Amino acid sequence: MSDGNVLQARGLVRSYQAEGSPIRAVDGVDLVVEAGETVSVMGPSGCGKSTLLHLLGGLERPDAGELYLDGQRVDGLSETAWAVRRRSALGFVFQAFHLVDELTSVENVELPALLLGRSRREARRRAMELLERLGVAGRAGHLPDRLSGGERQRVAVARALVNDPLVVLADEPTGNLDSRATGELLRLFAELREARQALLLVTHDARVASIADRLLTMRDGAIVAQTRLGPGTSAAGVLASLAELGGDG
Amino acid sequence: MRSLRLAGRLAARNLRRRPGQALLLLLTLTVATGVLGVATSLLGSADAPWDRVWRATNGFHVSLTVYHPPDEPGDRALVAELRRRATQLTGAPEVTGVGGPWTHLYGSIQVAGGGEDLTAEIRDPGPYQVDQPLVTAGSWLGDGGGVVLESGLAATLRAGPGDTVTIQGRPFPVRGVAMTTSRGRFPLSRPAQVWVTPATAKVLRELGMTEEGFELQLRLADPDAAAGFLAAHEAFQATDQDSSVVSHMETWRQRRADSHSDLDILAGTLLAAGTLIAILTVATAAVLIAGRMAAQVRQVGTLKAVGVTPRQVVLVLLVEHLAVAAVAIALGLGIGRLLAPRIAATSVTVLGTPEPPPLDWARVGAVAAAAVAVVLLGTVRPALRGIRHSTLRSLVAGPRPPRRPGRLARLAARAGVPLPGVLGMRSAWRRPGRLLTNAAGLLLGVAMVVVAMALRDSLELLDVTPPEPGHAASDAAVTVLYDQIRAVILGTAALLLVLGTLNAFIVATFAARDAARNQAILRAVGATPRQTVTALIVSQLGACALAVVAGIPLGLGLWSLMDGGDLPPVTVPAASLLLLAAAVPAVFAAIVGVPAVLLARRPVAPALAYE
Repeated sequence: MSDGNVLQARGLVRSYQAEGSPIRAVDGVDLVVEAGETVSVMGPSGCGKSTLLHLLGGLERPDAGELYLDGQRVDGLSETAWAVRRRSALGFVFQAFHLVDELTSVENVELPALLLGRSRREARRRAMELLERLGVAGRAGHLPDRLSGGERQRVAVARALVNDPLVVLADEPTGNLDSRATGELLRLFAELREARQALLLVTHDARVASIADRLLTMRDGAIVAQTRLGPGTSAAGVLASLAELGGDG
Repeated sequence: MRSLRLAGRLAARNLRRRPGQALLLLLTLTVATGVLGVATSLLGSADAPWDRVWRATNGFHVSLTVYHPPDEPGDRALVAELRRRATQLTGAPEVTGVGGPWTHLYGSIQVAGGGEDLTAEIRDPGPYQVDQPLVTAGSWLGDGGGVVLESGLAATLRAGPGDTVTIQGRPFPVRGVAMTTSRGRFPLSRPAQVWVTPATAKVLRELGMTEEGFELQLRLADPDAAAGFLAAHEAFQATDQDSSVVSHMETWRQRRADSHSDLDILAGTLLAAGTLIAILTVATAAVLIAGRMAAQVRQVGTLKAVGVTPRQVVLVLLVEHLAVAAVAIALGLGIGRLLAPRIAATSVTVLGTPEPPPLDWARVGAVAAAAVAVVLLGTVRPALRGIRHSTLRSLVAGPRPPRRPGRLARLAARAGVPLPGVLGMRSAWRRPGRLLTNAAGLLLGVAMVVVAMALRDSLELLDVTPPEPGHAASDAAVTVLYDQIRAVILGTAALLLVLGTLNAFIVATFAARDAARNQAILRAVGATPRQTVTALIVSQLGACALAVVAGIPLGLGLWSLMDGGDLPPVTVPAASLLLLAAAVPAVFAAIVGVPAVLLARRPVAPALAYE
């Protein structure tokens, strides 16, 4: 594994029982994410994108395969050890935001910092700094049910970034946002690259996927295509080409 | 009618789909109805044997007793005047039969190595119009001397015809054993009683026995007129206040009610225990319904959207729970019929074999009323609360919105309480109804434990207190009664604690279900399973803290109400109370930790699936 790899998967497999027969939601995925790299994962509904993201974040256990986080093998870690690793190395952004509804915006953001062992004063300072940067400092004392969808997602992003993780794993982060809020979020993700933080983005939206350095296309649990994006190569174009070759997504 | 049928069908389906909840409710309701069933079956179970003896002995309708302390001869003139007035009463038109007046001598009889107070009633050999004692062994008074023992005294002495008893230090042969309703059974009723002929009485007088009064017994044309007869002749009871002579009139019903006080006290204690348990069962039912309504808020919204009215939703739940209550009532009454005779058999006051009275409407109604009240109180309010949301809100909403952070949680955070503790405190007040219900359930258990601790200490003190001279056997009988009451109170405390724990477990299970999403989020951002378990336990500890803080003073207050009677006063040691205050939260934490640990073992991803 090269020194620049922050996340690497080898032959990841995850199966589910559906109506008595096993279904491979993730089927032998090999993947490398380098520091500061943005990777988009696209594919049709049910192709295994979210399951792959959960496996990479330790929220689900693979049936087979190896997983490395910052050079250390993590697929066999206990629940507790995974939790401790997540604090410093991973940040999550979910489509449904998943803020703790009993905690205010700033408390949600400072939570991972407190779990990492930072002092309350330091955690609060860092949380307020991020909320300021994301334009929601004025909503710091509000509970999540008082925030708009865009505001909740910005609070969720701030929470994902509060411990400066190596990788941010985002699962359909714009799925519940209007176009204006989506645009704001994409600008935020662009800033991550400048901070040398890797971003793995699972999305349906080709416009969102286009911000990535690489686009992975999944179908039936496997990565069927890998394309480096750049000037003149859009995610939508890549998907259209794949569809012409006989795919559906 | 059609909506009732529909409710019946839906309720039957619900019962099949949630047998666990139905069983839980049935179990707690049956504990309450069972205790009440035993109490109601026990009350009056000595009446039938008493009535049999009363009929067989031609028992009195009205009794007139004159008593004066045996060591104070009293005002002989007054006693003579009362005897004259009593004899006048025998001429009243309502009187159809007269027994006595029979003179009573006071003395002492040897029982279990000690002296017991003794009344020897002087009778000629009879027969008598009223109170012809029922001879159960040997023969009645006649030629040849000897004494006839009251059956309770004979049982205590294990003596029968042919044996001898020691009265005033001298042996007397036992002629027979007899039952009467003119006084309670020894040893719970004092003093001990024997019947003697005038010839034997003469010997007893020579041995130092002294007169202590007399008794006259009357039968009336109408037994139900006894109370009226008493009221009409109240003057007989009016004695000189400066004199130590006491005159007293009593009806047969009053004597029957007083004759088995041990069973009445036991049944009364069981009634109180059953009522307490029923109150706690309201909490269990309410917690079950509230939890179910919280889980089914969307389903209720769907039902309302298709036109089902809130009344129909409540009706379905009521029908379902009333069906469970009906089974619990039947079980409770059955348990009562089964256990009550066995408990009554331990009584020392029953004249023969105890018989639970027939299941009349009053007894069935008392048990049924408790079960139905539990269902109504436990179902209607939480169900109405559950369906109060607008239909649209029910369809779109998840769990109820959180409240603002509590002051306690903020203070805890500032004071450096570990993060899981602070997180737990934040969600503690999220469902105040459940917290208070849970606290109320535990509070009753804690209070009863305090009462049981005080009672235990008091009875231990009683055990080491030497009996009063002349009361050794009766004190031993009272101890048996106290032991029974202690067992009832300890059993009630244990049942209340078990039910309180069950409540706590149910509440914790619902809390774990409510917290599943937040716990998954916490784990996703780096909280360990242990931290999430701690947070969930802390969120539930508020109920326990309230129960301990309020339950211990409540228990001490209840004890102070019980204290001051025949029991030696005691103060529950502070160390015991502190131990209780520490043990209850520890056990509580272990119980609510179970659903918390089960939740922590579940994978994170499914709980975070898109809603």
